[in-house]
Amino acid sequence: MKKRNRILTICAILVLAGTILFLTGSPVSGFLRKETVITIGAFSDSYWEVQNGYSYQILDDAIEKYESQHPGIRIEYVSGVMKEDYNEWLSEQILKGTAPDLFFMPEENLCEFAQADAIEDLTDRMNDDASFYKDRYYTAAIRSGVYEGAVYALPFECAPRLMFVNKTILDQERIAMPDGDWTFNDLYQICRRVTKDSDGDGSLDQFGITGYTYEDAFCGNGVTLFNEKGTECYFTGERIEESISLLERLKDLNQGYSVSEKDFDEGNVVFMPMLFSEYRAYKPYPLSVKKYAGFEWQCLPMPAGSYGENVSNLDTLLLAMNKKGNHKKEAYEFMKFLTGDEEIQSEIFTYSEGVSVLRNVTESEQTLVQLLTDSGSGSFQIDTLSRAVEQAAVYPNFDGYEDAMKEVEEAVADILNGDANISTGQIIWNRRINAILKEKNIK
Amino acid sequence: MKEAKKTSERVFRYLLNLNFWIIMAIGILISRSINGYIREGSAHEFLKGVEAVPEMPYKIPAAVFLFYLVLLLLFQIREEGELLFFVKTGMEILAGLSICYLLDFSYSGILLLVLADVARKLADTRWKYLLIGIIGIVYLFADYYLVPDMWKTASLEMCLNYYRGDVRALLLGMRNVMVSLNLLTFVAYILFRIREQINEKQRVVELNQRLHETNLQLEEANHRLELYAEESIRNAETRERNRLAREIHDTLGHTLTGIIAGLDACCMLIDAAPDAVKEQLAVIADVARKGMTDVRRSVKALRPDALEKMELSKALDEMIEECRKSTKTDIQYSCNDPLQGFNQDEEEIIYRIIQESMTNAIRHGKADHIRIDIRKEYQMLTITVSDNGIGCKDVKKGFGLHHMEERLSMLQGSLHCSSENGFTVEAKIPIRWGEEKM
Repeated sequence: MKKRNRILTICAILVLAGTILFLTGSPVSGFLRKETVITIGAFSDSYWEVQNGYSYQILDDAIEKYESQHPGIRIEYVSGVMKEDYNEWLSEQILKGTAPDLFFMPEENLCEFAQADAIEDLTDRMNDDASFYKDRYYTAAIRSGVYEGAVYALPFECAPRLMFVNKTILDQERIAMPDGDWTFNDLYQICRRVTKDSDGDGSLDQFGITGYTYEDAFCGNGVTLFNEKGTECYFTGERIEESISLLERLKDLNQGYSVSEKDFDEGNVVFMPMLFSEYRAYKPYPLSVKKYAGFEWQCLPMPAGSYGENVSNLDTLLLAMNKKGNHKKEAYEFMKFLTGDEEIQSEIFTYSEGVSVLRNVTESEQTLVQLLTDSGSGSFQIDTLSRAVEQAAVYPNFDGYEDAMKEVEEAVADILNGDANISTGQIIWNRRINAILKEKNIK
Repeated sequence: MKEAKKTSERVFRYLLNLNFWIIMAIGILISRSINGYIREGSAHEFLKGVEAVPEMPYKIPAAVFLFYLVLLLLFQIREEGELLFFVKTGMEILAGLSICYLLDFSYSGILLLVLADVARKLADTRWKYLLIGIIGIVYLFADYYLVPDMWKTASLEMCLNYYRGDVRALLLGMRNVMVSLNLLTFVAYILFRIREQINEKQRVVELNQRLHETNLQLEEANHRLELYAEESIRNAETRERNRLAREIHDTLGHTLTGIIAGLDACCMLIDAAPDAVKEQLAVIADVARKGMTDVRRSVKALRPDALEKMELSKALDEMIEECRKSTKTDIQYSCNDPLQGFNQDEEEIIYRIIQESMTNAIRHGKADHIRIDIRKEYQMLTITVSDNGIGCKDVKKGFGLHHMEERLSMLQGSLHCSSENGFTVEAKIPIRWGEEKM
């Protein structure tokens, strides 16, 4: 009886251990292979939705350099996934358990994947790592990889929003190009002066601005809309009041006409905010795509409100690690290399349209200096760009951010369309949005 | 009794089967749903709603099956010690919880199975109740909405959203039916277990009662035996007295009658014919001698058998050896004399004193060590029998001791008893070498 019990116990322990190994993914296969293979997920077209034909160039160069420095490690990437299919593809791979060790991730998806516990929390790894220099990265870029106080991804490249200016109209109206530290008021004054019926047919045909959203205005006035966890909304206060007031006044100038991007393309609008990547893509150098042939144009940082700076939102492409990956340590090293190696980061300026997330690289980048000089803008300096990235606002990462922003959008639209006084509207909507957030959190 | 045990084991096996089908069905269902989401291209939509990434779809049913196999193996372990029982139950909880985890905590009935197995063990140890408590608490909280977030993956409802509304309702309904069925079976199992235990207790009570009755009967039989023994002693005494009377009458009586008649004749003849008297006295002496021989023969019949067959020293050796063997008492025997030249009654009393003292030491003194010492000094033989038994505070001479003393005094000997450190009997017999033998 005793012997039988012992045999049964040993069998049970073996099967139990075997099953747990089977579930957690066997490290045995890793020992059998001579080299460590790290896989990385990337999309075949540009993150900035601009076709340039160099989508894998940076990755190829980085892999070549890294593999030569680290013998025994091989890095593979999965090619051919388009950006629009990328999320679905990645989700499928994660569910199937075949997801790559590392993957690129648009920052707006970060909280979904972090919430689903699919990506690795890097905070401890970073804090324990003496060779990781957080200070070399733009603070805003690092912040975009943070979810609920923990770092879930490292930034790979980023792009701030900038203001496109139709220089031709300004010259016609004899208005000087504004400085890099221009304000809400400068913006409004220029818009007021250029909005008119230039051909005299009775309806307005020249406008001040299009595509300028409440988010841009809030950003320029240093508004913080939510607390970090997204449980509370701060919709009251003078910063928001001033921003909405600007939007209201700009809207009133157009006398009910809704100005579109098409009007800007046709050369009838002075200002339009755009991602820096779009600016780069449409500049004649280094890629010869000239979209706006009919007018001269240039770009500026976003205008500042009386409480804020000339900053905008930052769009960041992140690199995240698979929580169920097999070679996390090696993957983390490569991740650090891809985001922190100056040579690789500087290739962003050659083969992509974003800005490097490393302060050093962006500030010393010759290509960029060339680019900005060629555009003939004396007022747009490289340190202005660097400052724009550094101080950029980061989209908060919390579960339900999109839904919450829809509420804010509705609130702004309601206040703009209504007759009521702005601050009253703010108080009413603040209460309403907070009630919704509270209800959602109870769920 | 046996019938009930069989029933509870049968219910347990039924519970095993039922749980196997339930967990496999849910495991396959979850696996199919996740695969369905992947196939339909709504993996991202699905991932947005989960708390953590579930295990790979094909692994879920396989791992559920393997964990169930672990449980089956563990259920086979029986009659174990406390440590093994604890380890075994710990592993069962682990395997059960793992199955719950894989099934997204949509079914925790497997823990009832573990509980049923723990209840199967008969002995009521402290561990058993502790573990039953722990498993009970784990069972109560093994629900998707109660477990810590870190254990959650996707809820069953979330997985089943893959199916059409009516199919989903049917599947969820079926799961609820299965949960209730499992619960009912578990209750039935516990009921049978309780019945079984009650029967067991009753059986023990009955057995005790029967034992008590038998004891009473035995006591009575013992009492009757004692009475019978007393009576049979009395009978033997009477028989012996009768035999002695007959013997005396037949031998001594006859001889004495002859001697008296002869002596009377001598009285009359002594003056007339002194020569004839001489002749007559010689005849009378012959008769007396003959009588003596007869008496000796009669007395012989009362001597111990051993003394009849061998010498005293050998007989003593043999008796002591026999006593050693039969009572496992440690007996130390020493003697500085070959013990020859004693007459029969002296031999007999030496033999009887030693026999009686040993018997007393073992029976009354409960001794396990006895020392027998026979020494001859000058004209005195000293026999000392001492033991390490309980002795007795106040030496009251019983029949045995009294009898010994009586017989010793007939030989001008003495008996001395003391009860310090066990019990000691000391007998002194003066040696009458050269005296005429009886």
